[in-house]
Amino acid sequence: MRRILLIAFAVAAPCITAAQAADPVVAKIIDTHILPRFETLAQSSGQLADAAATDCTPKSETLRAAYGRAFDAWVAVSHLRFGPTETNDRAFALAFWPDSRGVTPRTLASLITDQDPVIATPQEFSQVSIAGRGFYAMEFLLYDDTISTAGDAAYHCALVQAVATDIAATSAEILADWQGDYAARLLNPSPNGTYRSQEETVQELFKALTTGLEFTSDTRLGRPLGSFDKPRPTRAEVWRSGRSVRHVKISLESLENLMLLLVGDNADLAARSKHAFETTLSKLGILNDPVFAGVTDPQTRLKIEVVQQSVDAIRDIARQELGPELGVAAGFNALDGD
Amino acid sequence: MTRMAFLTTVAALALATPALAVEKSEVLNTYVTIAQAKYQDSLITAQRLQTAVNALLDAPSAENLTAARAAWLEARVPYQQTEVYRFGNAVVDDWEGKVNAWPLDEGLIDYVDASYGGASDENEFAVLNVVASPKFTLSGKEIDATAITPELLSETLHEADGIESNVATGYHAIEFMLWGQDLNGNDHGAGDRPWTDYATGDDCTNGNCDRRGEYLKAATDLLVSDLEWMVAQWADGGAARTGVLDDENAGLAAILTGMGSLSYGEQAGERMRLGLMLNDPEEEHDCFSDNTHNSHYYDGLGVQNVYLGEYVRVDGTLVSGPSLSDMVAEADANLDAEMQGKLSTTMMALGRIKTAAEAGFSYDQMLERGNEAGEALVMGGVNGLIDQTRSIERVVKALGLDQIAFEGSDSLDDPNAVFQ
Repeated sequence: MRRILLIAFAVAAPCITAAQAADPVVAKIIDTHILPRFETLAQSSGQLADAAATDCTPKSETLRAAYGRAFDAWVAVSHLRFGPTETNDRAFALAFWPDSRGVTPRTLASLITDQDPVIATPQEFSQVSIAGRGFYAMEFLLYDDTISTAGDAAYHCALVQAVATDIAATSAEILADWQGDYAARLLNPSPNGTYRSQEETVQELFKALTTGLEFTSDTRLGRPLGSFDKPRPTRAEVWRSGRSVRHVKISLESLENLMLLLVGDNADLAARSKHAFETTLSKLGILNDPVFAGVTDPQTRLKIEVVQQSVDAIRDIARQELGPELGVAAGFNALDGD
Repeated sequence: MTRMAFLTTVAALALATPALAVEKSEVLNTYVTIAQAKYQDSLITAQRLQTAVNALLDAPSAENLTAARAAWLEARVPYQQTEVYRFGNAVVDDWEGKVNAWPLDEGLIDYVDASYGGASDENEFAVLNVVASPKFTLSGKEIDATAITPELLSETLHEADGIESNVATGYHAIEFMLWGQDLNGNDHGAGDRPWTDYATGDDCTNGNCDRRGEYLKAATDLLVSDLEWMVAQWADGGAARTGVLDDENAGLAAILTGMGSLSYGEQAGERMRLGLMLNDPEEEHDCFSDNTHNSHYYDGLGVQNVYLGEYVRVDGTLVSGPSLSDMVAEADANLDAEMQGKLSTTMMALGRIKTAAEAGFSYDQMLERGNEAGEALVMGGVNGLIDQTRSIERVVKALGLDQIAFEGSDSLDDPNAVFQ
């Protein structure tokens, strides 16, 4: 995972120039891509908290369904990692994964064993390690054989409710910031603002696209794939709840939407981008292996590798064609470490 | 009046000669010269560590263990400043895992406390304990470890079973051998390995003192030879040096890539923010020695001194030359001021962490749940690093380097390819 290059590069002259009026592409992305998705996240997270308040038993179908809907909503915004999601580490508090050192089960086990009173109020709970918060911790609480049944039932119930309430609060805060002033900041760059030019705004959105694609390829697909000699099925994302493939699908659908909006009226590039996503999604669709368990089987493994290559082909289009078209480079992202 | 006339002359000259006064080749020369000096300093201080380790093994004592620890701490000062050469230089990246891999499952190497746990889902060799095991099976192969050699560490144990946390070599493996586990959790205090872990005969504690000594020696010798190799890569004709100098624009891009990636994804993200958000002292970069405040500080300093083209060597001499800063100032003086200002802000923030830690508020305490002062200190560093990355992106743009498509290009992946 050591990575050599971080800056992807534009080759052609920019076709977006600094205009006086708000950029219509950016405006459309905010209105039709960003805001509706964060609204869905806030709403479904609120419903998750309500469901947990009503029935906190891990096997509750209502609770699990509410959890699934809220998690779907998160995955659909998981590439929008800038501004409101990064304030106070909100995105990390919602989604700490991958967890290569197994900190999530350890943190939950110690909360449960100690019957840690930190879950008493949302305020106190927000101080808990990100490994014990968010959607990935909730998966252990609802689906892990050990953690879902661990400890005192009343405490376990209260913990499920605390995690759900915390998810709802964090999601609501993100939405509030977007609706507050962040959308306006993105739309109206200014010399002293967060974004100084339209170019920087477009770069931010382009970066969200490329980082999202990178995460889906390298992490959501790459982790379970491991190497041919050493496939790692238990490193698949949320395999306990059987959602691994679903996450790849939802993220790709959301990224397709963003990419097509960025492409704008370049019909040729739009058609090729659309085709690349459709191809990838159809390859994913015929896998019939919801948790990538097939990484250990040479035949199925090949099909999963093909999906990954297909995502990488989309990355190439983004970097080599869309970037130059927009006149921006991908810049640095949070995945640049090793 | 004189001053005004001078300024006018400068302006006229600038108009007459649109070419930049600072040549790209000069900036790159400074960059490789500083690289060479930093790696030489890393080697010099590692050799001192080697001397101290040999003294400890020849005559185990509390004093000699303390001296070896002091030598390790000194060796970290120049090495951390080299980290800014990662990410942009393939030669460094391909090698770095041997010397500074982290975090590690130290149970692979030696005894650990019961609280450490056993083999995990991720790593079935997390408690292999090679010091206590002259023979063991690894990925189906019978391994003879009766002699603990540099080869055993680098060829067999390091990243055993393809798992990155099986770190058998480098600074952090040596750190563990010198300090042992830090069992203080979020409380003040570092690892406290007794010197008798290296004692002979009946004084030996925790068993296998001779093998433990062999391990420490092998790891230290390996660090020295790995650093010797890297110094050669930056000498005249070395692969890292020519990799930077051969293509001026790619060379400049490599400088900025290292600065940006270390600042944001690696240091601000992996090393600082993650540990804070997890409240986990095991996420400390130098978790055995409690030296994390210095590791962060010198990483940041490396970014700053590469930009400014000035490095103070371990013997106090200054290595300097035409810098990226000079070049940016010519293209956009405001941007250079912004960049310098942000680097200074970061160093101020990292300096606060360092001074607080040195005054007794250690880094693992800062990570504790609900410790607001600690959180503010660490986040000060994180925010500074993230903020400076935005300016680094602007520098990339201002120098026109975003137009070089070098991802996956031959010149970066294989420095020799350009000659073929």
